[in-house]
Amino acid sequence: MKPLSLTKSGARVALAAAAAAAALAGTQAACAEPQGFLETVHKHTTLVNTVPDNGDQNPYAIAVAPVTSGAFKKGDVLVDNFNNSTNLQGTGSTIVDYHPDTRQMTTFATIPRDLKECPGGIGLSTAMTVLKSGWVIVGSTPSNDGTTSTKGAGCLIVLDNQGKVVSTITGENINDPWGNMAVVDNGDSATLFVSMAGFGVGRADALGPDGDPPVFKQATVLRLDLDVPAGKPPVVKKQTVVASGFGAQADKGVFLIGPTGLALSADHKLLYVSDAIGNRVNAIEDPLTRDFSAGVGRQLTADGLLHRPLAMDTAPNGHLLVTNALNGQVVEIDPAAGKQIYARWIDTDKAQSPPGSGDLFGLVMTPEGDGFYYVEDDVNTLVLAK
Amino acid sequence: MKLASSIARGAKRGLHGDAQRGARMPSLRRLAIHTAFACASIASTSAVHAQSSDATEAPEADLKIQAQPTNQWTGIWTRQNLLGDIGGVRPWLNKYGISFGLQETSEYLYNTRGGLGTGGAYDGLTTMSLGLDTQKAFGLPGGNFNVSAFQIHGTNLSTRHLGTLNTASGIEADDTTRLWELWYQQAFLDNRVDVKVGQQSLDQEFMVSSYAGTFVNTMFGWAGVPSYDLPAGGPAYPLSSLGVRVRAQITPSITTLVGVFDGNPAPGNNPDPQKNNASGTNFNLHNGALYIGEVQYAINQPGQGAMEMPGADKSTSGGLPGTYRLGVWYNNETFADQLQDGSTHRGDYSFYAVADQMVWRPDPDEPRSIGVFARVMGAPGDRNEVSVSANAGVVMKAPFKGRDNDSVGIGLAYIKVGNHATAFDVNNGFVPRGSETAVEATYQYQVTPWWQLQADAQYTFNAGAGQNPDNPTQALRNTFVIGMRTNITF
Repeated sequence: MKPLSLTKSGARVALAAAAAAAALAGTQAACAEPQGFLETVHKHTTLVNTVPDNGDQNPYAIAVAPVTSGAFKKGDVLVDNFNNSTNLQGTGSTIVDYHPDTRQMTTFATIPRDLKECPGGIGLSTAMTVLKSGWVIVGSTPSNDGTTSTKGAGCLIVLDNQGKVVSTITGENINDPWGNMAVVDNGDSATLFVSMAGFGVGRADALGPDGDPPVFKQATVLRLDLDVPAGKPPVVKKQTVVASGFGAQADKGVFLIGPTGLALSADHKLLYVSDAIGNRVNAIEDPLTRDFSAGVGRQLTADGLLHRPLAMDTAPNGHLLVTNALNGQVVEIDPAAGKQIYARWIDTDKAQSPPGSGDLFGLVMTPEGDGFYYVEDDVNTLVLAK
Repeated sequence: MKLASSIARGAKRGLHGDAQRGARMPSLRRLAIHTAFACASIASTSAVHAQSSDATEAPEADLKIQAQPTNQWTGIWTRQNLLGDIGGVRPWLNKYGISFGLQETSEYLYNTRGGLGTGGAYDGLTTMSLGLDTQKAFGLPGGNFNVSAFQIHGTNLSTRHLGTLNTASGIEADDTTRLWELWYQQAFLDNRVDVKVGQQSLDQEFMVSSYAGTFVNTMFGWAGVPSYDLPAGGPAYPLSSLGVRVRAQITPSITTLVGVFDGNPAPGNNPDPQKNNASGTNFNLHNGALYIGEVQYAINQPGQGAMEMPGADKSTSGGLPGTYRLGVWYNNETFADQLQDGSTHRGDYSFYAVADQMVWRPDPDEPRSIGVFARVMGAPGDRNEVSVSANAGVVMKAPFKGRDNDSVGIGLAYIKVGNHATAFDVNNGFVPRGSETAVEATYQYQVTPWWQLQADAQYTFNAGAGQNPDNPTQALRNTFVIGMRTNITF
């Protein structure tokens, strides 16, 4: 048999093929720019179990300390608990502090459950922030028996950097501060955006005509302009309702469904609101300057990969990352295009159907912007996706 | 105060862009106020007209709720366990990484016809378990220690009134208090591999069909082939064996399990093996070995980190989940031929396949779904009493609106007696055993998260595979058992 040998034309074909392949690989490499942030995450590491000594469960809010002050160091991750040791919703009263450098967890604050200054007591929600001045502000959506039948109006609690209660913020604009806060922190002043999900919502077993508890379209987003005098606790200078008419509903399983996520655009001209009842993310214009409510604002994106969106944060590329309540996914949205890019499974716990359903709540980017922290509230853990 | 409430709500609505906007009251721009729901402030805002709500009218009672302390029994109807945190004992144990479980399963089953006779029996099982999470206890990640024990009480309907091979209840066992499992498990490589060493009960992890677990009949759990063919029924409820099990997740969809265990969990001369090991503490390793291996393939079950693109109809969360398992076991002891002619066989083995597949889910965000399952196992008919056993059935979860945790199912359990055992019957003038089929219908009703009630009915064709175990020259009529089981998690 004639031995195989590369003829001249054969060599030319081979070279051309190789060149084409190289060119293709080159363009592919160029096209391999990540579409979004989620695909750059490599793994999910469970950092710590968030249950403190008193047994509180159901971690909700996550806030990363921007400065070293008092009991916390810069980069520490504060997590609050919504349930108590018997797993009753709206009765959790502790904030734990995870120290990434030592991988240890300490209890930052234990707030007395029946704090008189907070109507209805204490049940720490997804609303929590740590200011540069060292003050910690956390929302309370309290209940006496784990159901919305005994749901109080709640309040915002101001804690010092040692975890002691300094003051509370209450009023007719404040009814169950619920979702994660969007914050502009200028040191000596700060603006907080908090969603209020309690207006109108009654018992979870008072069913409407369709067999479900009624939806009340009275949830709001409240802007609190704070003055933070040096060495003194923050004081509310002005309260403005910037959004309203969002839906809120009592629920036997998850206590309350209402707007749970807030995030500002990089230029602060838009405030994005994740509307759990409406299964959508909306945008509110001029959140820092407006002095009247924008209603529900403009719909950015709805349905698709969103399955009851909850907490939200902004990735370094300007995209929004929002957790789903009904499955264990986090969804990435390009707000400029109003498009959902993709979703990533971050909780595939098969104990729920669909997996991860009801487990995800708080979500916060790491300060370096290379990953995000999230909680799995069925197993009480804080996880880092990086 | 209802009138005041609605006026206050109307005042808030004044901020939301109606005509009164310009006439906003200074009181609404006040600094943080405490909850003084004084009539004075309400009267001053009454100028703002109240818009009608677009949802049903509900009293704004939130501001009047006072914080009440919770006690041991608050929320008893909605929490996961009956005793809650047991007065602080559970969180205290949890601090040291210790978790504690106590569960009671009790049932009353009644045979209405056929079999050995009509009649009923109560039987019950209390399970106690203690777990230690080594990460919480002393910082070692991925380690888990578990010890559990049973208190079995009541009488056995199947031996007293049925005489069937597909015994009526998976918890029927001799009255005793016994140790069940005692093992340590360590996870490695990001929880992709874990090794479990110690006294283990294989029915927890091998040959498991998750949908079949809904049913009461024993053979939906530890099936006919291993129950009748392994020495003492193998290391399965209520027995366990010393051994090692390695589980590895090779890809996000493929998991393999392999194990080697002591071959006989209850060696001894008593024909009732449970009596040879009544307390569960007869740890022994000198009866040959049971080798077992299983491959599990999961479809449409997304792994951690899996990405989903928008608009994909056949996406992982759109496709319905299913798990398929294939396995084999080999026991190297010596087994007598079922002809009982003195000949023996070295070793015994069986192959099995299990399928669990969800086939209908109208709304992926809701728990309602229908799934089917099938399981088939075979073993050589010369040395084994049972040569084929099979299960199949349909289970519907959340059948009715509002009953998210209920299940309803109908299933079938089939046992075929080995050909040498049948030949033995023929040789001795007994009614030749053939096969036996049990059909079960059940409804699991979740009363509270810690309390479940289950109604059950089982009809068995050809009870005893045709032969009365107490009098092998006689046949048995079909049996029909009805019963009620309850499960309480303390």
